[in-house]
Amino acid sequence: MRALVRAEVLKLRTVALPLWLLLTTLALVLLGVLATILTAGLEGAPLQRDDPQLLARAVASASGGNVVVLVLGILALTQEFRFGTATPSFLVTPRRGRVLGAKLIAVSGLGLVFAVASVVVALVASLALLTARGDSTSWDSVGEVLLGVVLVMVLYGPIGVAVGALVRNQIAAVVGALAWTFIVEQLLVALLPSVGQWTPGGATAAVLQLGDLATAGGEDLLPVWAGALLLVAYAVVLSVLAARLTLRRDLT
Amino acid sequence: MATTLLLDGLTKRFGSTVAVDDLTATVRPGRVTGFLGPNGAGKTTTLRMLLGLVRPTSGTATFDGRAYEDLAAPTREVGTLLEATGFHPGRRARDHLRVLAAAADLPRRRVEEVLAQVGLVDAADRKTGGYSLGMRQRLGLAAALLGDPPVLVLDEPANGLDPQGIRWLRSFLRSLAEEGRTVLVSSHVLPEVEQTADDVLVLSKGRLVRSGTLAELRSAARGGTAVRTPDPARLRAALEAAGSSATDAGPDELHVPLAPERVGELAAQAGVVLHRLAPAAGGLEQVFLDLTADAAPSDGAAA
Repeated sequence: MRALVRAEVLKLRTVALPLWLLLTTLALVLLGVLATILTAGLEGAPLQRDDPQLLARAVASASGGNVVVLVLGILALTQEFRFGTATPSFLVTPRRGRVLGAKLIAVSGLGLVFAVASVVVALVASLALLTARGDSTSWDSVGEVLLGVVLVMVLYGPIGVAVGALVRNQIAAVVGALAWTFIVEQLLVALLPSVGQWTPGGATAAVLQLGDLATAGGEDLLPVWAGALLLVAYAVVLSVLAARLTLRRDLT
Repeated sequence: MATTLLLDGLTKRFGSTVAVDDLTATVRPGRVTGFLGPNGAGKTTTLRMLLGLVRPTSGTATFDGRAYEDLAAPTREVGTLLEATGFHPGRRARDHLRVLAAAADLPRRRVEEVLAQVGLVDAADRKTGGYSLGMRQRLGLAAALLGDPPVLVLDEPANGLDPQGIRWLRSFLRSLAEEGRTVLVSSHVLPEVEQTADDVLVLSKGRLVRSGTLAELRSAARGGTAVRTPDPARLRAALEAAGSSATDAGPDELHVPLAPERVGELAAQAGVVLHRLAPAAGGLEQVFLDLTADAAPSDGAAA
């Protein structure tokens, strides 16, 4: 299995895609930090400039790349079918579930790299900006939020791999996942939090303690630990479904 | 080293279409076996069943009694080149092989060795997206050789190769078989394997219509043998003495309804000098076309 994980890591390292996605992620993180801090204190904004949670809210933007990591996971799998590398992969390793498992691990690892880079960028940018503006730089709940960021970034990759394995068609998987995260989930969480809190996006908001920002009425979402467990459950269940349902299909 | 492939009642149905129909055959070590048939005859489906990529509707395909997915280290036991095998266009050729070597837990030096074997060392750092079809075939072949396997299963390996490449491939396959390996090569063009194969399996519409040695297939060729000699009269006499016959086919050239081997033997016994001895043009090809006639398009071109 170690050899297989090494091979999957090598697959990711020998194409340009992850680097571009990392740059995209860091750009999104910066945008998120800027938006959070620059809107603080404006009329109608949910956060005040002296809010002790301001730094925690701002560094929560470090999870801004979660959708990027989701797409990375999808592409890591669907490109094997698109470019036909699934055939040699499964010839070297006829137990296809092991290939899937190795890919899940490798993509999680890359998610961790993305998470660390995102956290560093978010912390540095937030502290610089808050200090410059003379806003609160209290470290209240920053630790928990950053842990949540890492968890989210590590889990969205495997979820993407599983979605890719279930859908297999690259365009359908990417478009479907983006439509789901940006439209369906956002609406569900904002307008119908009692349902939305059970979606991956709802669980993510719970883990990042952003419930009051994500929902229209500022309702509570799941507790942090429950949101974390729910995200893990999504990754596991989708992966098992993919291994059982689609991976065994004939490769013609 | 020696591994025997056994296909036993191998059948695949896609819906109501029977792609491969009750295929039973043996592929022996130390020989090149040509797997022939027009496009759509079921060759690729058969090879994919053999390699565990497609699940047979019934029947089995085994390597010394073991199914592909039960091999402990498939890359070290069976080398494969399949038509639909792809490369990530943004990945360098060397990296493609490194990935496979890593997954198969093979030493890194094997990558350099197979690159040298197929003559791709100078192009190894180029991305495969810029590769020609012929270079892709070589890269695929390099991948097949990574584990130095005793069995090679190659689907249309000559596709896209230029004449030098095809000649190189022929001698390469021969040398692999001479090392005692089992070499199974599919093709839809008979001449491609005609000079390489020892045995042939001919598939038509999913059914095995012929199996045996290439020599047997040759002797079944209606075309017989074209022979050129400076002394046609003596050769004709020798052939007639052996109960055969000969007809004129040009200056100093005879056409004999026997296999080339037999004609050569008779000429040697009679001490007749031969300048050329070959299957009559179109002979073997005609047998192949006759065998697969039902499956060929109406214009006769099974391309």
